[in-house]
Amino acid sequence: MLGIDVGGTFTDCVLVHGGELFRAKVATTPDQSEGVLAAAFRALAAAGVEAGQVDYFAHGMTTATNALLERQGARTAAVATEGFRDILEIGRQNRSRLYDLCPERPEPLVPRELRYTVVERVTPAGAERELTDREAERLVARLKDARPEAIAVCLLFSFLNPGHEERLGELLKRELPGVHVSLSSRVLPQFREYERFSTTAVDAYLTPVVQRYLASLGEGVRAAGLPEPAIMQSNGGVIPLPLAAASAAPLLLSGPAAGVVGAAFAGGRGGCGDLMAFDMGGTSTDVTLVRGGAATVTGSSEIGGSPVALPMVDIHTIGAGGGSIAWIDAGGALRVGPRSAGALPGPACYGNGGSEPTVTDANLVLGYLGGDLGGAGGIRLDADAAREVVGALAASLGLRLEEAAMGIRRVANAGMVKALRVISVERGHDPRGFVLVAFGGAGPMHGADLAGELEVSRVLVPDSCGVLSALGMVVGDQRRDWVRTVSAPPDWDTEFVASAFARLEEETGAGPAGARVVRQADLRYRGQSHELTVDYDGGGRDSLVAAFGAAHEQAYGYTAQDEAVELINIRVTALEALEGPELWPPRAGAGKPLFRRAYFGGEWLEAAVWQRLDLGLDTVPGPAVIEEGEATTVVPPGWEARLDDAGNLWLEAGKEWTL
Amino acid sequence: MDTGKNDIDPITLQVLSSALGSICAEMGAALIRSSYSTNIKERRDCSTALFDASGTLVAQAEHIPVHLGALPDAVAAVLAEGPEPGDVFILNDPFRGGTHLPDITLVAPVTVDGAIIAYAASRAHHADVGGSEPGSMPAGSLTLEEEGVVIGPTRLVAAGEMQQEFLDGFLTRVRRPGERLGDLRAQLGAGRVAQARLEELAWREGSRRLAAAMAATVSYSERRMRAEIADLPDGRYQAEDYLERDGDDLVIRVAVEIAGDEIAMDFSGTAPQEQGNLNCPMAVTRSACYFVMRAITDPDIPPNAGAVAPVSVSAPAGCLVNAVPPAAVAGGNVEASQRIADAVALALSKAVTLPAQSQATMNNLTLGSDEFNYYETIGGGGGACQERDGASGIHTGTTNTLNTPVEALEMAFPLKVERYELRHGSGGAGQRRGGDGVVRSLRLLAPARLSLMADRRRHGPRGAAGGEAGLTGRNLVNGREVPGKVTLSLDAGDTVTVETPGGGGFGSASQPPKPAKA
Repeated sequence: MLGIDVGGTFTDCVLVHGGELFRAKVATTPDQSEGVLAAAFRALAAAGVEAGQVDYFAHGMTTATNALLERQGARTAAVATEGFRDILEIGRQNRSRLYDLCPERPEPLVPRELRYTVVERVTPAGAERELTDREAERLVARLKDARPEAIAVCLLFSFLNPGHEERLGELLKRELPGVHVSLSSRVLPQFREYERFSTTAVDAYLTPVVQRYLASLGEGVRAAGLPEPAIMQSNGGVIPLPLAAASAAPLLLSGPAAGVVGAAFAGGRGGCGDLMAFDMGGTSTDVTLVRGGAATVTGSSEIGGSPVALPMVDIHTIGAGGGSIAWIDAGGALRVGPRSAGALPGPACYGNGGSEPTVTDANLVLGYLGGDLGGAGGIRLDADAAREVVGALAASLGLRLEEAAMGIRRVANAGMVKALRVISVERGHDPRGFVLVAFGGAGPMHGADLAGELEVSRVLVPDSCGVLSALGMVVGDQRRDWVRTVSAPPDWDTEFVASAFARLEEETGAGPAGARVVRQADLRYRGQSHELTVDYDGGGRDSLVAAFGAAHEQAYGYTAQDEAVELINIRVTALEALEGPELWPPRAGAGKPLFRRAYFGGEWLEAAVWQRLDLGLDTVPGPAVIEEGEATTVVPPGWEARLDDAGNLWLEAGKEWTL
Repeated sequence: MDTGKNDIDPITLQVLSSALGSICAEMGAALIRSSYSTNIKERRDCSTALFDASGTLVAQAEHIPVHLGALPDAVAAVLAEGPEPGDVFILNDPFRGGTHLPDITLVAPVTVDGAIIAYAASRAHHADVGGSEPGSMPAGSLTLEEEGVVIGPTRLVAAGEMQQEFLDGFLTRVRRPGERLGDLRAQLGAGRVAQARLEELAWREGSRRLAAAMAATVSYSERRMRAEIADLPDGRYQAEDYLERDGDDLVIRVAVEIAGDEIAMDFSGTAPQEQGNLNCPMAVTRSACYFVMRAITDPDIPPNAGAVAPVSVSAPAGCLVNAVPPAAVAGGNVEASQRIADAVALALSKAVTLPAQSQATMNNLTLGSDEFNYYETIGGGGGACQERDGASGIHTGTTNTLNTPVEALEMAFPLKVERYELRHGSGGAGQRRGGDGVVRSLRLLAPARLSLMADRRRHGPRGAAGGEAGLTGRNLVNGREVPGKVTLSLDAGDTVTVETPGGGGFGSASQPPKPAKA
């Protein structure tokens, strides 16, 4: 089994063979497929395996995300109902920064001159004004002149009545061959025209780009003798390559989603289903809640200024990481970020000319990091450089060197705690019931401190925590999602629910042999305008209303017994579990620790420094530092660390701490 | 400006100030997610805040700028009533801590071991609080009583007990009482979040240290705001702008004086308070002034009492921007607040380069009957600035609320949207163009009362640095122009069209445009 994740800087690869995990990391290439193949060959060579022996290959990429962020998508035209030409530009009419006399909004994906309208109108009551053949032909003629590469069609109420969109879709396909057409009633048959239009425009804008990339990758992979890759989607599940090439909007968070899937997999092997995935890298940190083994999925997100209302792993990102720069602001407070030293020059201790103190420099000063960073970088760390830049900051704060370094960590941690509270507390979950899964280059160094702040007593540092996204590719299920806004009457009943699901499943062909079908519904109290998604167990109206009441209580702290419950959307997910990789338990370790001084709770202590592979199955008390290729784990005093038989590293708060 | 010595170092300051901000954000999240009113849920017309035991604002989560300067008055009004642990106060009286009547504020003491260590406040724009018109935003009100139920600081909960008699009395006087109850519950929930989180923080840090952190956060914001003001050129800068009513204009005159690290804004010479409802209580005026200060300084200065301490605002009692009872105020909060901000920014633009004026009206549109109630504010053109063209179809100034999706609207109300598009060419010309306004046209499918409250129908938003003014807005009923502020009864089949103003341009149009950004 082969999993490859293309990130911004590195392309990560894992190969599971004979119970063992082989890793490879190469620099990401401009044509991402080149790096993908290079990484694959490196891992194959390490394992001594032929391409033909690989039985499964899954892949995540950043092609779609990059094209959206860099505005390098297809030349896209849009078609709207007459009178509503500018939906994509007006959006929800708000600005992102409250205090701004000249707000800047991202350019719409489709410029004004490529936005067309067509005379037709559907209302909740039905087609009030039919789309005539003449009108459709007039539109096609104008679109031909515009020479678009892709067309997004979003007509009002097409989620209730897709007839007009479908007719246009067929006509456009016939008359403009080679032009990709995205219909909103296919991409997202759900109400709220701006979010549906935006998602459809994103799909049209990206699909030609993704198609080109996947075609080139497919060719390279075939030539190399590897199986056709399955593609990771934003929802944390994979789909076959041809389906991915047909619609790009569901692929936007391909890589980050896989990281969360990898974290959930590691938690599952350790017997834990309720997790907070904490992925701290050099410039940003991603946090996600996992419940019952499944990553929480949100129905909408905004990427590069464009709302995309498709199921996506609910990743909350903050712009702070190991490279974030510490500084003193005009009010005398110590701040960390949002500026980052990035990959170049990087933290001062990288010795590439970085002259400002970063979180990584602070960690080195405190003795948490050792002399060199393993992994692909293979960087030797310059402790003197770190002491110099942190020392300068300490002088201006009137603090000792180590106090200033600890201060940088505390301020950085405060931002991370805030992010973790957003995904837990603000959504109605008590973090104390969760395990913190720390990964990414810097995550394991901060995990225990954050857990302490949140009163979380266990931290999990997964095996291969530096290539967790690539591992997530291999363990992700096949998954497809469908949603439909149903126009439910106020007195909707069990029969209505059953037939709505039956219709949706029949139309979409959900539930092929072997697939598990999950049914969900979005409900709200009459008068509310946000819905909650709950599972449907087939038990009819009463069970849905009860599930909604429980979800409402959980999320908002109350239920309104006397209010009518409205049924808004139904959702169907088809999941096909793939056979997971078999990994052997770790062997007993043989090594002994070294010691170095590290600063904890206001004093310098002798901390045992272990290599992860040497840990064996004994419990190691803090203070300790555990090093491995891609990451360093800090075990503060009062915590202890041990490996489980799945190779996961667990940090547990001591009894005295929990009191 | 530290008021005394405390043991809060720069690191703890940042950590605890972040924690206090995060509590307000959690209160806001709880309020928005569990409320009923579209105004609160979809449009986020609400704010949450924490005050220290003496009533000083220490942290606030703002979703809408017009609340910034107005919440401290609410807490001051409650403190005068001698709140006890277990109480929750409610108020909306614009002259006793409120802004306009639909904004209902709840204030609750936060206690640790029986002692009050802080106050939690939430303010939310309820969809209706009674009065003569559905939505409680009548365009033609002449007294406060016409605008809805007036509540001075009152115990909604006393010593942990819901005051059922008061609650029932309130609910019988408003439309859709079930929704009101839901929104009040959401606000009570926000207060419970504050209690739980502050208790936890006090347990961990100790109450005294927490109090010291609150004080340090306030003085930190003050230091940062003073540093920003010190960078502005000293001097006295004057400007005036106009608020339109049927027949004439009301002048808003301001003199802004920058002296060192302090700034004073004086509204002497502003029109006296008027017969209609464009009057502002002082709290709203202060909010509008603070909005401009926050917009021209670093927006990440934590919003609290310190951030506004170096800013003083004065106005003669009884004038349009410092109204006294029984003035009607429905339009003051939404329209006059915009013009106050415009006048202050215009004066400041004589000291520093600022963007052209934006539409700066909320184009308040209410359609309602006994069967339904729909309230919307409509975006328009943003002013251009040196760096870029103005944004089109956007909310500017003291508001930032979302629109109601066409598909949500038509499924909920007997209304059909005929048109919702940009109003091409309405932005002012210039080296950088002003943003375009929008056209929103609705057809009624059932009879309803229409209330429109919109400004900039006679004076377009001004350009800056030689740029031209944006186009004025227009209101039309069945294609015929009606005044900017009007209340009418309409029949099924009638159409209401609102064309919103364009933003002002920046720089002379005859100058070649600067090369695009690299």
